[in-house]
Amino acid sequence: MSASKADAVVATPTQPPRKQAPSGARRASKPPRKPSGIVKSVTPYLLVAPAILGIAFLLFYPVVRNVMLSFQHYRFKQLISRSADYVGWENYQAVFKDDEFWEVTRRTFYFTAINVVAIMVISTLCALMLMKLGKTMRIVVLIGLVAAWATPVIAATTIFKWLFRSDNGVVNWALVKLGFDYEGYTWFAHGTSTLTVVTLLIVWQSIPFATLTLYAGLTTVSTDVYESARLDGAGPVRIFSSITFPILRPIFALVTSLEVIWIFKSFAQIWAIAGENGPINDVRTLPVYAYQQGMSLKLFDMAGAISTITVLILVVMLVFYFRQMFKQEREADK
Amino acid sequence: MKRRLLVAAGVAAALTGVAACGSDSSSDDNKKESKAPGASAPAAGNGKTVRVWLMKGSAPDDYIAALKTKFEADHPGAKLDVQIQQWNGIGQKITGALASNDAPDVVEAGNTQIAQYGASGGLKDLSSKVNELGGKDWLTGLSDPGKVDGKTYGIPFYAANRVVIYNKDLFAKAGITTPPKTRAEWLDVTTRLNTGDQQGIYLPGQNWYFYSGLLKDEGAEIATKSGSAWKANLDGAPAVAAAGFYKQLQALGKAAKDGDEKTQPEVLAADGGKIAQFIAVPGEAETIIKSNPALKDKFGFFPIPGKDASKAGATLTGGSDLMVPEASKNQDLAYDVIKLINSDEWQSKLAQATKQLPNKTTLASAVTADPGGAAMMEGAKNGFATPNSPNWASVEENNPIKAYLTKVMTGGDPAAAGKEANGSIEKTLNTKN
Repeated sequence: MSASKADAVVATPTQPPRKQAPSGARRASKPPRKPSGIVKSVTPYLLVAPAILGIAFLLFYPVVRNVMLSFQHYRFKQLISRSADYVGWENYQAVFKDDEFWEVTRRTFYFTAINVVAIMVISTLCALMLMKLGKTMRIVVLIGLVAAWATPVIAATTIFKWLFRSDNGVVNWALVKLGFDYEGYTWFAHGTSTLTVVTLLIVWQSIPFATLTLYAGLTTVSTDVYESARLDGAGPVRIFSSITFPILRPIFALVTSLEVIWIFKSFAQIWAIAGENGPINDVRTLPVYAYQQGMSLKLFDMAGAISTITVLILVVMLVFYFRQMFKQEREADK
Repeated sequence: MKRRLLVAAGVAAALTGVAACGSDSSSDDNKKESKAPGASAPAAGNGKTVRVWLMKGSAPDDYIAALKTKFEADHPGAKLDVQIQQWNGIGQKITGALASNDAPDVVEAGNTQIAQYGASGGLKDLSSKVNELGGKDWLTGLSDPGKVDGKTYGIPFYAANRVVIYNKDLFAKAGITTPPKTRAEWLDVTTRLNTGDQQGIYLPGQNWYFYSGLLKDEGAEIATKSGSAWKANLDGAPAVAAAGFYKQLQALGKAAKDGDEKTQPEVLAADGGKIAQFIAVPGEAETIIKSNPALKDKFGFFPIPGKDASKAGATLTGGSDLMVPEASKNQDLAYDVIKLINSDEWQSKLAQATKQLPNKTTLASAVTADPGGAAMMEGAKNGFATPNSPNWASVEENNPIKAYLTKVMTGGDPAAAGKEANGSIEKTLNTKN
């Protein structure tokens, strides 16, 4: 959905290279072939067909199936008998009547907001720092970022779970050494402390992508602009707010929207940390709630309704967002 | 709503009928034979393979090998293929198997799990076989959870309940000659054993099996049915008292307050004799000794102490049942496997080999000679089962009692935490399928 838009957005600050690339490609493909009409018109479709089929099978089919499920009465019995009745909006009505759903939805929004703000602030600072660092340190930091990014989600989650163990976790040990009363503190006993750990984990996992993207954007801004700003007596804060941010606004917008998607749909971290022994009912967000209803309670229909609602919320948020963005872009072009 | 449900049920019934017909065609000849007079004659083999799923640790390898030899001798041409399953993620695996066209023929499942599979329509109704199998002597802790609406879907396999396993050396060193018989004595003994780097008891904060026994001793159950609705009881005075005792006992060791008993065998095996007691089924002692032979002959057993000395603490009956999926293609042979395992001879053999309780009260002598078995029998007298609802398995799948216990262990208000857990349990149990 966002791929083509993403390309367009990324391309804005780096226009010259993009303009060259396609023309070069066209020139290369022109001379040798003289295909006939039909072959010429069919070939591109044949070439993309496998990709389209793959996406249709792996993405569209499950989505359609999920939406269908949400309009059926589909539970364990129906799974075994393989027949289910359509019940209209019954599942949606049940979901909306449930206080649990609203509590979870509220938590999902707060959780997303806190995480995205933290990620964007820290990543921006990291990216700005990278610009100022000398070559060696910059490479060291980049390696660190890439390593954090390359750590598989479940591996990272398991490591965090160990770090915060109550009996022999490194975090409690360090806090005790520093003089805090954290002897045997159980991080995963309460909703707030569990969510704190999950937030730390997710922010840590997200920073590399955001930082590297913003850093890539920063490197495209011509140094002349900064120099003249500095000559005019602008301080670092002023430079950022009046030059860097406005120029890179599309990149900031893109990274923010990607992070919103990423956090809103984050599941593995929360489930792996709190699913089995933690206070899962106090920390579940919408995707976790959908999974819980479907896989644990075998209410596949409710899970279908909740996940469809989750997708719709995301779409609405992002459509609103993209419209805003394109409006700004159009104004900027005038 | 109601009519729709009826229609759904009708369609479901019709479809299962179709499915059953489909799978019968391949075993038509077996059908005829088993319907002939003398229905107990073994079903014919005809080159068929009977697939049996047993859980890890349910039966030792040589028992399985002997069972295979015996079954194949009785059914010339048939093959018995026993596949050992891991506990982790077994629920989803069985669900998938029941919904498939290619289900195994016999499946073992935990006694608290059967009802949901039975209610789903994925299991063969075995009610007509109960008499032939001697069902009146079955342990009710195994046979009751195997029933849904009076129909039997699970045939008792074996039972086990939790006892206290103690380190005999550490007890002797502390001068304790008789195991505690009351909760007060137990706390006293455990406090004396909890010195230095030695732990009085290794009790993870989330052992809800143990907790539900304490609750039962206080006169309450996790959930009770009044009318058509379930009500959970984790916020009342009995629950507060049970949680209070658990917390006191738990503090006399170093086990994590936010963990369950899953890694207990590994902890005990790595321990090297610094843990004085732990709560487990007696068979776990064997598992621990296998990975750390230095602990051989160190373990003694006593039943979980009751509130007073008159009787042992109540224990949740754990164990397994055997079931035949509706989608099995060899249902007659599957039943013959169950019949063989259910026979007195093979039940006694299994009990002696695994130190678990046989499925019939009449076979108790097979284990009482063993100290672990004796302690287990003592506790089994006061045994009970989880709430008999097809939805109970869903409660366990996402067990709110664990989070509740951790909250209480870490100083939370037991009544408030209990109320929260009640809400979750009631919602799940009262969900209509």
